[in-house]
Amino acid sequence: MDDKRGRFEAQVLPHLDAAYRLARWLARSPADADDAVQEAVLRAFRAFDALRGSDAKAWLLAIVRNCSWTARRGEQRRAFVPLPEDGDVVEDQTMIAATPDPESAAVHRDDERTFDRLMASLSTEHREVLVLREIEDMDYREIATVTNLPIGTVMSRLARARAALKARWLQEIEARPHAMP
Amino acid sequence: MQCPEALRVQAYFDGEVDAIAAAEIERHVDGCTECRALLEDLERTRTALRRDLTDFRASPALRARITEALNEESSARTSQRSAAGRASWRTPSFWMGAVSGLGASAVAAALVLLLFTPLLSRPLVDDLVGAHMRSLMPSHLIDVESTDKHTVKPWFASHADVSPLVADFAEQGYRLIGGRADYLDHQRSAVVVYQHGAHVINVFSWAADDRNLPKSATRDGYHLLFWRTGDLEYCAVSDTGWDELQGLVQLLKNLSSREHPE
Repeated sequence: MDDKRGRFEAQVLPHLDAAYRLARWLARSPADADDAVQEAVLRAFRAFDALRGSDAKAWLLAIVRNCSWTARRGEQRRAFVPLPEDGDVVEDQTMIAATPDPESAAVHRDDERTFDRLMASLSTEHREVLVLREIEDMDYREIATVTNLPIGTVMSRLARARAALKARWLQEIEARPHAMP
Repeated sequence: MQCPEALRVQAYFDGEVDAIAAAEIERHVDGCTECRALLEDLERTRTALRRDLTDFRASPALRARITEALNEESSARTSQRSAAGRASWRTPSFWMGAVSGLGASAVAAALVLLLFTPLLSRPLVDDLVGAHMRSLMPSHLIDVESTDKHTVKPWFASHADVSPLVADFAEQGYRLIGGRADYLDHQRSAVVVYQHGAHVINVFSWAADDRNLPKSATRDGYHLLFWRTGDLEYCAVSDTGWDELQGLVQLLKNLSSREHPE
């Protein structure tokens, strides 16, 4: 294995799950997410020399985002529901198995579905900043790098995304009072 | 009606403010029921998302596909390199071929983004514009309010890491209205604030390093002019026209060459 490949695998591939999560929330199907991630990793490899000292995770996610948006562009708008499908690798299986009370595991499962649905109902722009901030724990500067937005826009978009998610959540609670966590 | 501090409260929640600003915001939240509720909402939403959102992972099948694609790419590169030794004109066509298979415009966009913009100055430009925009939010423009350079200058000594040129050019239309310290590029930069007509011009300054910064940039309708004086990097940011911004920059440059003739 040549040196570039080795460095690429050490610096960039550890972020593959993060790349997939972002792609999954931007793509219309798990298959589209797979395609976007594969293409992004190849592009990242070709452009790897340009990475130098920059943050590899933000850099890879910026390419993933590019690939995902490109794949979406020109497609017809249709309902977006990225709920887990058979064959999806879902990491929390062990967590559920380790939960002593099967009922609470089922409740957790329910909440999980609820939040997946709430997220899916947001605009792609809002989902994107929420995933980067809350799931990937990126700071404003990193989010700005990934989304190619000014930091001021990241701040205001994040505020709107959080407000939108909260509004959907309240609707959900009103519709099903027992859904309150 | 949203509290005008809401974005700052969010920035506090996200750990994006320094200790001094954090203390200020905490004081504000103590007295503002709306912002207290906002903080609670932010916390609940984050907890719920981190706990309940499905944690997707790249599947083993996808990982295998990627390894295979990288193998192909590596061997293609190797044969390309040996071919290039024999006929160097082939290299561009190899890349064009590789590129055209992928949606040329998207790849071109990615390459422009990754290869041709100075990677290091890019986030800095974003930060400068972000800091300029934040400064325009209510009550964030000025930490020390004064039209007197003898007040502003010493204030920087205790609040910023650098001591920039401070002068009032009211006669030429650029009125000194105060100073501010902003966290920028891992240091407490000094910001001198001028008013020009209805426009605010922030002049940022920070310790220069060996990075090559652009001479100018435009982002979201804001113009940025960079220059260096001695060991300080300066950047003037505003939504004025180029000529007006250049006017102030020229005054500052003239003054520093008079004060520190080289």
